[in-house]
Amino acid sequence: MALMVLAVGCLALAIAASLLFGGKPTSIADAFTGLVGGTDPYLAAVLDARIDRTLMGVLSGAALAVSGVIIQGITRNPLGDPGLLGITVGAGAAVVTVSAITGNGVAVGAGAVWVAFAGALTTVLVVFMVGARSASGSVVKLLLTGAVVSAVLTAYRQAIILTHPAVFDSFRHWVVGSLGGRDGSVALSVAPALGIGFILALMVSSSLNNLALGEEMATSLGTPVRLVRVGGIVAAALLAGAATAAVGPIAFVGLVVPHLARSVVGTDHRVQIPLALLLGATLMVAADTVGRVIARPEDIMVGIVTAWIGAPFLLVAVRRGWAAR
Amino acid sequence: MSTTKKVLRMGPVALVVRRRVIAVHAGVALAIVAVAIVTLTLGRLGIPLPELPAALLGGAEGKVAFVLERWRGPRLVTAVFAGGLLGMSGALFQAVTRNPLGSPDVIGLGAGAGAGAATASLFLPGFPSAVAAVGGAGIATLAVFGATGRGFASPARTIIAGIAVSALAFSITQYVVSAKLRDAATHLAEYLTGSLNSANDLDIIVSATGAALLIPAGLAIGRAVSLLELGDDAAAGLGVDPQRTRTRAVILSVLASGVAVAATGPVAFVALTAPQITKRLTGTAGVGIVGSALTGAFILSAADLAAQQAPIVSGLPVGVLTMGVGGLYLGYLLVQEHREGQL
Repeated sequence: MALMVLAVGCLALAIAASLLFGGKPTSIADAFTGLVGGTDPYLAAVLDARIDRTLMGVLSGAALAVSGVIIQGITRNPLGDPGLLGITVGAGAAVVTVSAITGNGVAVGAGAVWVAFAGALTTVLVVFMVGARSASGSVVKLLLTGAVVSAVLTAYRQAIILTHPAVFDSFRHWVVGSLGGRDGSVALSVAPALGIGFILALMVSSSLNNLALGEEMATSLGTPVRLVRVGGIVAAALLAGAATAAVGPIAFVGLVVPHLARSVVGTDHRVQIPLALLLGATLMVAADTVGRVIARPEDIMVGIVTAWIGAPFLLVAVRRGWAAR
Repeated sequence: MSTTKKVLRMGPVALVVRRRVIAVHAGVALAIVAVAIVTLTLGRLGIPLPELPAALLGGAEGKVAFVLERWRGPRLVTAVFAGGLLGMSGALFQAVTRNPLGSPDVIGLGAGAGAGAATASLFLPGFPSAVAAVGGAGIATLAVFGATGRGFASPARTIIAGIAVSALAFSITQYVVSAKLRDAATHLAEYLTGSLNSANDLDIIVSATGAALLIPAGLAIGRAVSLLELGDDAAAGLGVDPQRTRTRAVILSVLASGVAVAATGPVAFVALTAPQITKRLTGTAGVGIVGSALTGAFILSAADLAAQQAPIVSGLPVGVLTMGVGGLYLGYLLVQEHREGQL
């Protein structure tokens, strides 16, 4: 419990930092007065933008982290991550397809979430079918399948956006993963999908503990393995799809956070999921704040920052032999 | 076997000639010529076939000269040389890792080269992009090599480290693009996927010089690299220093990939597929430097022909095509490895 309080504290700190610092330099005192009801219109506009992107960061970070916990739980593969497995790319490809057909830019509206979900779900199924069961039980195949599926879908997406200039224009920041330029309505439109995803995730969490003992053991403990898998996949796809619809495809949050959570609270998924939710939100908001501040006035998109946090982590995992022999 | 193999003796030199290998090489070379002719002649702006020989011999004027020298000529020539370099690069790397998936694309070589070229263009304008690309490819390779803890000996570790390094390199490129080319986003997106749409004389010079220097070097170490596939002990018994041969092969592979990327941008999966296709066509073991280079040249020039002329995909960067088709092929390889239980 103390750990949860600590995690909430970290998230609060990250949110505070995200509101107080940003690409447009404002003194801490100014930002604070603005937040508690200042009247300066410039300051109000700056702070509005910061509030919106902080909200997007909290939601998408939490969603990606929980999605990662579930994928790692279902596949029993420590390298499961919605970004690395191509699930966010699949969600993105679906959104781009629809916006090319309808002629709108990337409509990050209420409908886009469900399109993204459909894309994410399809991708999960393909990746799991090809990559999940390796003859030698290695974790590499799933990851490699994810890389392949990502490559094919990226090619498809590039083909669409390069032939549809209108789509391209609205897509070029979204494609890297950015919290900027989203307003509060986006958060509202992805909220239902996120809500269902989180609830499903919590519902399967105790069954994931049994699944960790092996498929046969789980069955003999009375766990409906197939149902848990389906529920977990739907939850992971909902969360990853909604996060992608909101902020674009972002990798590594779903990889790093579950490992952090596990190293703190152990393998119990019922505790891991809430903790990952808090840590994911913290990581995403902190990464975005760093990206805004580190190269002022340049705004480094959050997907780039998370890659620089996550990829070295993956390299360490390889080096230590966690990932593969 | 006796009907397919023949020993050619000229004084002290003896050369084993495999008819099927020769036939495959000739066939692929002919296919490249065919692609070249179609590339130059097809379509409304193509050079009419009867005029082609004269135009190639220097008698081109007006529209024909423009198409040949400025438009389709440069991208064709760049495609052939860059494709050849990529094919050889893949053959060497796959021989070192002893795994079709341990190829420059998966290791992050191409992504590293792209990041190198992009970074140099932002911070050191005027710095030769070929050098920067080779530097980037080298850094990426070293990073993967260091991260695995056992060099390239473990395919599984190498692949995962490669995915991580690719992600890092790609994020660098994306940053440069977003910082530099705010208004030229389309150009950037093309560069990121690898494109011949704006190939020019400089690209020809870079890729042709690279091919002229590096492919002979690849041929020189080809036999030693082939022997590595027998295992280190057997290779050492036959007089090959395994460690030194591996190092040379990797360096050569990095150079070849880097030069190709400098000319075309990171075109995906040519390096992965070319050696595999060659192996299946020739039915022989060994690295097959010549075959892989020819096949790479054919793949890239044919893909670029499609990128110029085929319906739906025309106008797209060639990298989009190779990424899509090569990705599907890689998926097929995965399913196969699945059956054989290798990974």
